[in-house]
Amino acid sequence: MSWLSRLTNAFRPDRLDDELEEELRFHLEARAEEAVHRGANPQDAAVEARLRLGNPLHTRETSRDAKLLPWLESLLRDARFGFRMLRKDSAVTAAALASLALAIGASLAAFALVDALLLRPLPVYQPERLVQLSTWDERDPHENYTFNYPLFERCRQATRGQLELFGMSNQSPEAVVFAKSGGVQEKVRLQYASGNALTSLGIRPALGRLLNPSDDLRPGAHPVAVLSYDFWMRRFGGDPAVLGRWFSNGAKQFQIVGVTAKGFTGIEPGKDTDLWVPTMMWSVPEDLSDAGSYWFIVLGRLKPGVTAEAVRPILQGVYANFLREQAAGFRADESRAVVDSFLHGSLHVLPAPNGPSRLRETFARPLWILAAVAGLLLLIACSNLANLFTARALAREREMALRISIGAGRGRLLRQLLVEGLLLAGAASVLAAMFAAVAAPSLVGLLSTSDSPAYLDLHPDWRMLTFLLLACTAATLLFALLPALRASGVSPHEALKSGGKQSVRSSALRSMLAAQIAFSFVVLFVAGLLLLSFRQLTHVNLGFRKSGVVLIGVETTDPNPFAKIYYTPAARLTALQLVDRVREVPGVRNAAMCEFGFFSGSLMGENVRIPGRAPGDGGIYGVPVSPGFLETTGVRLLEGRTLAPSDFTPTPSVVLVNQTFARRYYPGEDPVGKRFAFAERDRDLPQDIIGVVQDVRLQSVRQPAPPTVFVPLRGLNGTLAVRVDGDPWKVVPLVRRQINAFGHSVRAGDVTLQSALVDDDLVRERLLALLAGFFALAALALAGVGLYGVLSYSVVRRTKEIGIRMALGARQSSVVRLVVREIAAAAGIGIAAGLVLGRLLARPVESLLYEVKAGDFWSLALPLTLLLAAAALAAFRPAYRAAKVEPAVALRNE
Amino acid sequence: MARQDALQGSLPLLVLKILARRGPLHGYGIAVQIEAMSEDILRVEEGSLYPALHRMEEAGWIKAKWATTPSNRRARAYDITAAGRKQLEGELIRWRSITAAVDAVLEQA
Repeated sequence: MSWLSRLTNAFRPDRLDDELEEELRFHLEARAEEAVHRGANPQDAAVEARLRLGNPLHTRETSRDAKLLPWLESLLRDARFGFRMLRKDSAVTAAALASLALAIGASLAAFALVDALLLRPLPVYQPERLVQLSTWDERDPHENYTFNYPLFERCRQATRGQLELFGMSNQSPEAVVFAKSGGVQEKVRLQYASGNALTSLGIRPALGRLLNPSDDLRPGAHPVAVLSYDFWMRRFGGDPAVLGRWFSNGAKQFQIVGVTAKGFTGIEPGKDTDLWVPTMMWSVPEDLSDAGSYWFIVLGRLKPGVTAEAVRPILQGVYANFLREQAAGFRADESRAVVDSFLHGSLHVLPAPNGPSRLRETFARPLWILAAVAGLLLLIACSNLANLFTARALAREREMALRISIGAGRGRLLRQLLVEGLLLAGAASVLAAMFAAVAAPSLVGLLSTSDSPAYLDLHPDWRMLTFLLLACTAATLLFALLPALRASGVSPHEALKSGGKQSVRSSALRSMLAAQIAFSFVVLFVAGLLLLSFRQLTHVNLGFRKSGVVLIGVETTDPNPFAKIYYTPAARLTALQLVDRVREVPGVRNAAMCEFGFFSGSLMGENVRIPGRAPGDGGIYGVPVSPGFLETTGVRLLEGRTLAPSDFTPTPSVVLVNQTFARRYYPGEDPVGKRFAFAERDRDLPQDIIGVVQDVRLQSVRQPAPPTVFVPLRGLNGTLAVRVDGDPWKVVPLVRRQINAFGHSVRAGDVTLQSALVDDDLVRERLLALLAGFFALAALALAGVGLYGVLSYSVVRRTKEIGIRMALGARQSSVVRLVVREIAAAAGIGIAAGLVLGRLLARPVESLLYEVKAGDFWSLALPLTLLLAAAALAAFRPAYRAAKVEPAVALRNE
Repeated sequence: MARQDALQGSLPLLVLKILARRGPLHGYGIAVQIEAMSEDILRVEEGSLYPALHRMEEAGWIKAKWATTPSNRRARAYDITAAGRKQLEGELIRWRSITAAVDAVLEQA
């Protein structure tokens, strides 16, 4: 028999025992029968046979050891024993299991997200050789990742042979119509890519060919497209006949020439791409030669043996030349300092093994905080379990002492206790995996906004498995090892003496409790900060009413969407007619047109020249709107009058300004009736201020309103803001039909709710607040359970002492004080430690907060109150029990 | 006592030899055979016979299966394996050289 048979024997020792038993019984019977044969009496024969065989137990044990892996067998015996012990206090075990599963599950889900978004390299050839270029401008100090095409071309030429550079536009949703699909418009996530982009990444085609450098030659001349594998499967069911099929995107036609290999979903984790087309097909051909148009990112693959440091000086040289040429075109009166700081711009070569990701930029910090909090939760759960194990070890002290005194080794006891812990952690890990499988994808759902859904590859892999195993092992060591070491180190002499001293171990229990309270405090503190911040954000006065307003894009069917014809006086009047037509739709209470809606992501920067003020101090934002816009969106007019149709002259010259504008440029004056001019357009035309409106946050809840002017709409291109009665989705189809029937080569485009745009702006804060709330509740529950357990245990253990005190005349209140005092001390130390720890963790959190500071009254009062309330709740029952101890009963029990 | 001690190290050798010659035997049969063939001089310590058998089984020298005796009872019968035969050869050589050495000492003393 091999070790395999011994392994299987270890799992069924009972059967093995039976066989040994039977074999020996046969021997005894055969021996006795023979003796009877020779004339002995049967009873003597049986005795004689047994004597000759010797101690059957010893025989059996020796044989057993030969037949199975003894260590494994005893390990399994430990496991079975541990299982019985755990099942004995099933309520406690269930609570421990649930809290550990919750904590491990939360950690696992956090890890899955962190891994998918931040750590895992792209599924491409040698991702460690990928780099991304960025520029740095002293005046606007943050990495800028977008490039203009001429600069990119020069960089590409200069580093040829060392670095294979390629550009990729931001992925954007576009409406396309596939041939043979009945003319139905479909939204696809399209990305413009250099001809060598996909091949440089090391992607292979699953079908047909990829884009190649010959698709990168002349603007507008390469109408080819490559599908992603997932999109090919989803949209075409993997049909190979997709090759050669045409589709139209606006006025352009593209032919599908290939499909990328399975597994590659794009370069940006979190944003899957459906199809790639050459950059030469970019919708605005002029951008390909315009050095002022920044519209794509530049990535590259380092050739073998070339480092990022080696190519950086070359690229820096190219960039410096480019900046000098640009500066030559500056106005003569530009200040020396401005020119100098412009020329100091630098170009960086950053490693990009996991691709660029805007999702990552937005969520890296929140995710790390989330991971840290999940880790804290795990620590709380572990200290909870450590308490449980310590308390149990104390209760089993006599058992341990007895086992040691009859010869069990310390290692043997240690193993028994660790196996018990591992059993619990293992079961919790299984539950945790199930929890994370549900939780992680729903977290990704929370990262999505209405117009850019997030996709993350979260399928379980060896990385997650490794993490789970590590978490499980670490948890076991944390919560089981220390109590096990203590318990197995028990001195039998001390412990077997009735009511031996246990103060050493109680202090261990208390310090564990303090640690737990410290961790809980930190979690509550951080969660409180995030929740308070979110509350501030949801109470910000935006300056407009977000509910009940639908934004409907008005698109042109003209092949050139930038046709100047849409910014003509005639188009302006046509727009007003369109608004009037939409107002006729039943269910529409009011409607207006604007060039872009609030929070749409678009902004129009302007410079103004105010008489009597220095130039260069006039950076403001302009919002072109039709009459009725203020009423439709609920922006209050504070002074003067609003825009009227009569203001829409061929060269309109009236504006509304907001409060910030009025405060900044006309402090202490009434701006109505004053005049100023725009610096860059209609230079000479003075603009009359006809009214002052309330401040409106234009693009973010967090940013206070900039100086803003509302000007008459410039053309027919833009967005309709429609205030509706009742369910907007009932009214929207009617409005769309009205727009499509309007003529003038316009059609209805994207539809979004104004409230959704505002909510999307807070998606990160909402995610954090939601998770913070969840973690806070979990931490509170865990702390309460832990406290309750320790207190109850302490009361049970001190019942006799309490009985004696009461018999000697102690009052109930002093007994309660006695019980609560040591816990209160532990809690005090825990909270003090939590404050220190909380300050440390609050620093990375602070940049995410809005109008809340770590150390504010509520940021401290909230966690403190909650924790104390939970503690009081947890202490109530044990304290009550202590107060109700009957001296007579307590003393009789001994 | 002396008789049993003499057997201590040589039990596997005897078991292998008997199994090699007599084919499948159960534990009791092996004990009886050893006693009978040594004309009752060698008496097997039964307490150590079975652990020895099980160790040899684990080592792969003998194999066991449950068989029915003529009296229609289940008994575990052992038989020698190829590896056991090889082991037997080795053990025999070792045994002979030891006894020869002991003889030599006894004659010269």
